[in-house]
Amino acid sequence: MTIKKFIALTLTCAISTQALAHSRWVLPTHFNLSAEKGEWIMVDITASNETFNVDKAMGADLVKIITPDGKVSRPSSTYKGHRKSVVDYFLKESGTYKITNNSNAAYMTSYKINGDRKRLWANKEELSGKLPAGAKEIQTTYRYSRIESYVTMNTPSNNFKTDGKLLELIPVTHPSDIAENEKVTFTFLFNGKAQKNVSVEITADGVRYRNDPQTLKLLSNEKGEITFTPKNAGRYLLIAEHQENTPQSALADQQMGSVFLTFEAQLN
Amino acid sequence: MKTKIAGLMLLLLTFINFTVVANSSNSAPTTLNIELTLKQQLGEYHPPYVASWIENSQGKSVRTLLLWREKAKWLKDIRRWWRKIGKKDADFVDGITSATRITGKYPLSFLAENDNKTSLQKGKYTLFIEVVRENGGRAMIRQPFSLNGEKATFTLAATNETDEIKFSVTPK
Repeated sequence: MTIKKFIALTLTCAISTQALAHSRWVLPTHFNLSAEKGEWIMVDITASNETFNVDKAMGADLVKIITPDGKVSRPSSTYKGHRKSVVDYFLKESGTYKITNNSNAAYMTSYKINGDRKRLWANKEELSGKLPAGAKEIQTTYRYSRIESYVTMNTPSNNFKTDGKLLELIPVTHPSDIAENEKVTFTFLFNGKAQKNVSVEITADGVRYRNDPQTLKLLSNEKGEITFTPKNAGRYLLIAEHQENTPQSALADQQMGSVFLTFEAQLN
Repeated sequence: MKTKIAGLMLLLLTFINFTVVANSSNSAPTTLNIELTLKQQLGEYHPPYVASWIENSQGKSVRTLLLWREKAKWLKDIRRWWRKIGKKDADFVDGITSATRITGKYPLSFLAENDNKTSLQKGKYTLFIEVVRENGGRAMIRQPFSLNGEKATFTLAATNETDEIKFSVTPK
C-alpha cells in the first residue's frame, strides 16, 4: 500500500469510524494438502498493511484452530518474533480446518484532544474519570475482528459454523475450490443475519512489487453476498467491515465487526 | 378407430424414441486414442505426475482416464485434477493409481465411458492432460471434442512438459 493511499485510508476511517491501526492476517504455509497420515502446517501471524509481507508481531495467544469435527484446538508450538509470530500445527484428520486469530470483543472509546485522536479501552459506563478534560468527539464502539483462513487436507468439509457475533463471512464457494477465472461467492452475516452493504476489499499478494495495489472493492448485496472472479492464481487478503449505530445500548454508540480472510486461488 | 390408430402411433413413436435414446447411451462406445508424450528434460529429472480426464460442458469431470503418481503428499500438486476430482474420494484415487513414467511416447486407448463404465452421452466434452514435475514445470493441456458419431483427430501442441500429442476420437 502506498503512503498516499494509507493516509487516504486513515483519513477516511478517522472520519467514518475508528481506524483499524493495521490490517491483520494469518498466512498458512498451505491451503490445500494431500496426505495419508496427516501433515504439518505453519501459520504466520502479523499486523501488516502490506499483503503478504509481515510487519508487526501479534502474539499467538488467541490463535485457535477449529478442526473438521468442530472441536477447538491450539497450536502445538508458537514463536513470537519482532515482525510476526509463527505457529506449528499438525493436521491429523481429513477435512477443512479453520485457523483463527480473532480479537477479544471489546469496547473502545475514541476522542479528540488538542487535535489528536486518542483511544482507550472502556465502555460508556466505565468512562467517567477516564477522559481528559476537553475531550471532544467522544465515540464508543463495541468491536470484534475475525482474522481467519481455511486449510483443507484431502476431502473438504463445511467447517462454517456461525456464532452470530457481529460480522461473519460464510463461504458459499468452498475455500478449497477457489481457482483463477472462476466465480467465488461469500455471504456476510451481521449479528447472525444476512447483511447488505458490507464493504469489502480484496487484494492479491505482492503489493510491494507493483505500483497499483489493484484492490477490488465490493459491497454485499441484499442477500449479504459478494461475487467476484480472481483473475490470477495466488494468495488473497479479503478485508470486510460493517458498523451500525446502537442507540439502544447504554455501553456503546456503535458496533463494528471486521473480517480478515486469507485465501488461495488455485491454478486452473 | 381414429383414437386407436393415434394411440398405436403414440406407442410406436415412444418405442422409436426409446430406442434412439438407448442407442446413444448403450451402443458400442467410441474409442479415444491418446499418444501421450513426456518431453526429454535437461538436468535434474523426476518423472512427472500425470493426470488425464474428461470434463463435460458444465466443467464437471465425467471420467479420469489415468493417474500416474507418487506418494499422497504430491497429489495436491496435480492442481486442477486434485481440486476437481482427487480430493473428493480417496478410494477412487487408489483404484486408478498407477506408477509414474519416464520421458517417452505412450500410446493409450480408452473407451468413451464415464467413471462407472457407462458410455458417455453424445455431446461436447474437453480432454484434460495435466503434467507436473517436481523441481520442474507444469503443463495443462485442454482439447475440446464432440461425441457425435464422427471421427476426429487432433494434434495437441507441444508444451514445456510434453511433445506434440495425437488425440483421436473414433466411433465404432
